[in-house]
Amino acid sequence: MTAPYFELGYFGTRGALVAALVIGIAFGWCLESAGMGSARKLAGQFYLTDLTVFKVMFSAVVTAMLGLFWLGRIGVLDISRVYVPETYLVPQLVGGLLFGVGFALGGLCPGTSCVAAATGRLDGVALVFGMWCGVLGTGLLFPALARFYERTPRGVLTLPQVAHVPYGVAVFLVVLAALVGFMSAERIEARPRIGA
Amino acid sequence: MSGNRERWIARGLAAVALTLGLLAPLAGSPYRANHAAIDVPALARTVAREEDHVTALELAQWIKDRRAGLRVLDVRSPEEYERYHLPTAEHLALDSLTIVPFHADDTLVLYSEGGAHAAQAWVLLRALGYRNVYFLRGGLYEWLEQVMNPTLADTTAAGRDAFARAATLSRYFGGVPRSDIRTPPADESIALPGATRATSVVPLPTRTTSTRLDAIRRRGC
Amino acid sequence: MISASLRASPRPYANPYVAGVALGLVLLTAFVVMGRGLGASGAFASSAAGVVSAAAPEAARANPYFARYLGGDGPWLDWLLIEIVGVGIGGFLSALVAHRLHLDIERGPRLSRNARLLTAFGGGAVMGLGAVLARGCTSGQALTGGALLSVGSWLFVAGAFGAAYLVAPLLRRLWT
Repeated sequence: MTAPYFELGYFGTRGALVAALVIGIAFGWCLESAGMGSARKLAGQFYLTDLTVFKVMFSAVVTAMLGLFWLGRIGVLDISRVYVPETYLVPQLVGGLLFGVGFALGGLCPGTSCVAAATGRLDGVALVFGMWCGVLGTGLLFPALARFYERTPRGVLTLPQVAHVPYGVAVFLVVLAALVGFMSAERIEARPRIGA
Repeated sequence: MSGNRERWIARGLAAVALTLGLLAPLAGSPYRANHAAIDVPALARTVAREEDHVTALELAQWIKDRRAGLRVLDVRSPEEYERYHLPTAEHLALDSLTIVPFHADDTLVLYSEGGAHAAQAWVLLRALGYRNVYFLRGGLYEWLEQVMNPTLADTTAAGRDAFARAATLSRYFGGVPRSDIRTPPADESIALPGATRATSVVPLPTRTTSTRLDAIRRRGC
Repeated sequence: MISASLRASPRPYANPYVAGVALGLVLLTAFVVMGRGLGASGAFASSAAGVVSAAAPEAARANPYFARYLGGDGPWLDWLLIEIVGVGIGGFLSALVAHRLHLDIERGPRLSRNARLLTAFGGGAVMGLGAVLARGCTSGQALTGGALLSVGSWLFVAGAFGAAYLVAPLLRRLWT
């Protein structure tokens, strides 16, 4: 039985939604347990006082990336069937820049804001509401943004493809970068701080 | 984050990650298509038992019945697909077979112009693990001859029955069954649906009373 | 049970690397079971589409951004929307067990409650715009696209972190 199970037809929509709920619960639990429901903790990332965001996110990326590679290699998972979001160079970069500004302002991202709201943080509730209004407004204005939205499409484009290296080499380089990053993060956090 | 235990856990995780990362470049491609297995005896048996292909009439019936999980796949070029393709057919680009988006239980029927490319694609899709794969042995020519322009050639009772069934199917797809067996003109050619003689995009084989598809010189596959 | 949780002192946070690996395994589970990754902003989009569709069905269908959420089983049974409900439940349960449930407005020491709620709303709105343009957020692009080594996703991460670090010094009043 090869994975992805849903893609290969092993269960239907109802099963998929059950999976969504269970996966979501695990997702939320992991985020909250690391303190990612706390805006002050998250904001500490950008003042180099608390690099939890970096550690959690990059650990997650490396774990899933290694999982994808190795499960694919041993034939348990057909990774060509896993949905890879398409690349749109300019809109995604600009969207990222805007997102970063909003993140520094609000201190929470969409996923963590739901965790914050669910644990009683009213700032999380405000951010969820703001986010929803932002998406709604952007959607309503979409016809005006459509041309920009569709700029520089590149289809499914991966780092190994652009760097012209085998997938495994890209995986190794990302792991290396992560480990170097984590060691640096530990050193930065350990620095004595005057004031905060 | 302090504490010896936490540091050791972190170091342990890092060691695992580093190991898996170091081995990755040595492991080859993670894509299943690059490690597909061709089970030669099994495939050969399927071919010998003629369970690898379907006739055009069978395919026509499957399409008409809206058979669950049926995917009709055109393996010709995108341009040829655009100009004409079988009803409900999708285009399958042979040069991007690493990403093949079908369910494991789907019934895949491949066709090409004459059938050779479709037969090759059959082997490849079986190698990728799909079980219910078939191809149209005579290709598009077989569809045009059997479904779009079936001819009454055999005047026995069984032959007439078969023709009647084929004619019903043919009309469903907008074809023109021909029951006139007296004198098929020597240079009769099978017209592509919707095309005039002048604009028919496939230079079609001419028919004689003893035409067999495998005697037709193929342009492409 | 909740009141007991509210009275007890909060437990320490989990080791970020352990939580990160756990999160990565959740993401991997999604890949293996569903053939797709996680997300969050998509849930906002589908619920927005649902509301617009309820208020003005024709307008919703005519809007190319919302229309895509109106097919299939509809916007309210969108996979991401169910998933994000799960995220809330999971966050709540984790906080319950760790005694971290309490009503609060987290803010920097120099910021008033109201100002904090405003900046949260504003930050959220800007992130909403960014997430639409980028086809996702930290969950859908940074985590999911990042693990899949998608170029656009890594560009998104670079942009997001870059911009955040650039504007953070201007926003010190909010957090310090």
